[in-house]
Amino acid sequence: MTNWINLILRKDLLIAFRRSSTYITPLIFFLIVITFFPLALGPNQNLLSSLAPGIIWIAALLASLLSMETIFSDDYRDGTLDSFFISLEPTFLLVLMKVAIHWLITGLPLLIAASLASLILYLPFESFLPLLLSLVLGTSFMSLLGSLGASLSLGKSAILSAIIVLPFSIPTLLMGTAVVTSAALGQDYNGFLMIMGAMLAIGIPVISLLTVEALQLNYE
Amino acid sequence: MGSPPLFFNWSSKIVTWLGISAFSFLLLGLYWGLILAPPDYKQGDVFRILYIHVPSAIMGESIFIFMAFCGFINVIWRAKISGMMIKSAAPIGMSFVLLTLLTGSIWGKPTWGTWWVWDARLTSTLILFFIYMALIGLHSTIDDKTKADRAVSILAIVGVAIIPVIKKSVDWWQTLHQPSTFTLTSAPSMSAEMYQPLLLCVIAFYIVFAYLLTLNLRNEVIEREKSKNWVKILLERSK
Repeated sequence: MTNWINLILRKDLLIAFRRSSTYITPLIFFLIVITFFPLALGPNQNLLSSLAPGIIWIAALLASLLSMETIFSDDYRDGTLDSFFISLEPTFLLVLMKVAIHWLITGLPLLIAASLASLILYLPFESFLPLLLSLVLGTSFMSLLGSLGASLSLGKSAILSAIIVLPFSIPTLLMGTAVVTSAALGQDYNGFLMIMGAMLAIGIPVISLLTVEALQLNYE
Repeated sequence: MGSPPLFFNWSSKIVTWLGISAFSFLLLGLYWGLILAPPDYKQGDVFRILYIHVPSAIMGESIFIFMAFCGFINVIWRAKISGMMIKSAAPIGMSFVLLTLLTGSIWGKPTWGTWWVWDARLTSTLILFFIYMALIGLHSTIDDKTKADRAVSILAIVGVAIIPVIKKSVDWWQTLHQPSTFTLTSAPSMSAEMYQPLLLCVIAFYIVFAYLLTLNLRNEVIEREKSKNWVKILLERSK
């Protein structure tokens, strides 16, 4: 049972770390987008501090969206995805494993970049830990949604995947920014985190099953 | 009913009758609401846009639920006609949501003083509009149309999650848009002379949707099956 976990884990992590661009480019994209906001809106500290939750969240959303493009394309092209469907393990578990590892590669470094971003955007200190917690839950859900978008638009343009995924990421965005802004005001933010966790809990089985269904379309 | 030629033959019998009843119900409902109903005590005559705005909103959401239902059938039972129904219903649904947004803006300017406000119901209706567009875009990108039907079936099933958010958004968040007038458990908060034409308009819009869907579906069926024998015989007969 743990054999396939080790196999996918080792293979994907090895490939990702051999090609450092896999985990560096989403980070750089995130930081560039963050930098554009003070450039466009002006360096006023109060303004940036009040906008910081939204800016960091939008940049995280876009970065995780764009990094999902390649999750299935390499495996589809070289035939590894075929073996997902042939194997004895339930396909949705294998897909879920791929999504989880992809999150480790792209979503987790985003937390480090978000810490940097919260410094340069003057995010209030009370919001720092809530921001990281909301980003953990939010980027995981974004990875799930992104895998669904990538599977529906396998072989097509990246923008199509973005159009499919972005409307569904709006609840995550709303909840995530609500966590950070309520933490800055000193209010209790646990309710919002719980809603994000609930979305993740419902999403893990439902979205992975639908992703498998969408991937099978390519093998008709 | 799942077979395209059977559907085409069945729909040929009902399509004219459907069109006539759609047109007459619509005419009746709109005349009753836009002209005969009494003016509102606060808003005057401007409230009459309600008779287009509310039915369009109901249609936009109902059509998406219909598409999700068809998507469910398509994914599990692979009935071809249910896949084609999604493709035929999507543009109609999108037009209704667009009409809702536009009439809502027109109504909002004189009554709220603004064309747009970022409250829960308006924003979630805008999201519904984006999801419709994503669905239509996804279908047009995939060349193999049976495959495209399955892809949009999946998207419709996922997207139906936004519908309860729209319906409940006015109850969950205290917003500018007024709360629901109709509920299943209590009497409407509108006077009878005002909501009777509204109900007729809603029914009329449903029949209009059925008519437009039938027209679209018939076109879609002919388009998909144009290489088959039964279409060739049909075209020969109609020459």
